[in-house]
Amino acid sequence: MKTKQTIAILGATGNMGSAIAKSLAKGNNRLLLFATRQQRLQTLISGIQSETPNADVEAYDCPTSASWEADVIVLAVPYSAENEIASKIKDVANQKIVISIANPLNDHYNGLVTASDTSAAEELQKLLPNSRVIKAFNTVLAADFTTPVIAGMQVDAFIAGNNTQALESVSELVRTTGLNPIIAGDLSVSRTLEQMTLLLIQLNMKNNYNWLAGWKILHN
Amino acid sequence: MYDLFFQMFNDRVSLSLVDQDIIKAYLTPKKLKKRQYLLQEGDVCKHLAFVTKGALRSCVLDENGTEHIRQFAVEGWTIADLFSFLTEEPATHSIEAIEDSELILISKSAHEELLQKVGKYETYMRILITNAYISLQKRFTSTVSSSVEEQYEDFLKNYPDIVSRIPQHMIASYLGLTPSTISRLRARLAVKKEN
Repeated sequence: MKTKQTIAILGATGNMGSAIAKSLAKGNNRLLLFATRQQRLQTLISGIQSETPNADVEAYDCPTSASWEADVIVLAVPYSAENEIASKIKDVANQKIVISIANPLNDHYNGLVTASDTSAAEELQKLLPNSRVIKAFNTVLAADFTTPVIAGMQVDAFIAGNNTQALESVSELVRTTGLNPIIAGDLSVSRTLEQMTLLLIQLNMKNNYNWLAGWKILHN
Repeated sequence: MYDLFFQMFNDRVSLSLVDQDIIKAYLTPKKLKKRQYLLQEGDVCKHLAFVTKGALRSCVLDENGTEHIRQFAVEGWTIADLFSFLTEEPATHSIEAIEDSELILISKSAHEELLQKVGKYETYMRILITNAYISLQKRFTSTVSSSVEEQYEDFLKNYPDIVSRIPQHMIASYLGLTPSTISRLRARLAVKKEN
């Protein structure tokens, strides 16, 4: 696609938000970065500009105006902040792709705070009924964006959602980050994807993977 | 956000509040900064864009890479590469914001669903596309058979409120003239008015 896509990243200075921003800045994208920590946001933007000199990236101090201008919105805030930010972007996110990267982990990292018959993504969809919520990037650790090939294999990035076109657009975005997109199913599959990350994090802590690990489906 | 869109809609086809709410759920609010593209030629045009604030232009490139402006759109106007939107073939036009703009977009899938769901949306679209065809033919005919003076006067009639907003070289490109010809035309028309 020749036309630049405008992507708002809300919560851009977090581990995941900044990793996604750095990675997407390399594609044909215009990035609007929102974060509450302005100082860190400026540092992030300078970092992106020195790493990718032709990056089109701008700081925003309001999630609503960033989302209004965007074609795609990446919600990179913790699960606990989803409610508040959703109310701010609901009107301007109408019909837009909203990527849920959240993993609703509890404080001890030994379970999820969501009930077993739902997921962070499905809860977000309830808050944004006219948006196309897509689960993506949640099964990937922040370091995987700089090292998308681990032990000679490209890390898989699972995607779930209810709209075919939106799933294809997000697959394309995942591809620009160097990860391998796999469409896993409809939005309810997010329950599995969020559980998979819980397991990945637990194994990482247990086996000292040093936070560089990922999922890979082996197949013939 | 949606006021002007529904005002223009109701001017042509009056809508119940229920229909209005159904339609609203399918609309995409979007902002564009000056010089940003909504569409670049070669991509498929995925949206109809209604302008609630600002101004846009659509243009084609000739074989020498020179830009020719085909349409302007300001508040209350709709702009798209209709050919590409309807056929899903690559667009031949690029659409760019010439001022910071606010738009209401209707995606192809939203358009298809609304045509099925809301009869009045279909009527509105019929009027919109009929008008687009009429102005296309008018423009085509006038470039062949009208004098440049008539074309310029037609332009003033069609775009009365934007002449002062748009740089002269863009108006010249729209009319297929050089900026100096436009200056001479303006001078001649001013004299004509005085007499």
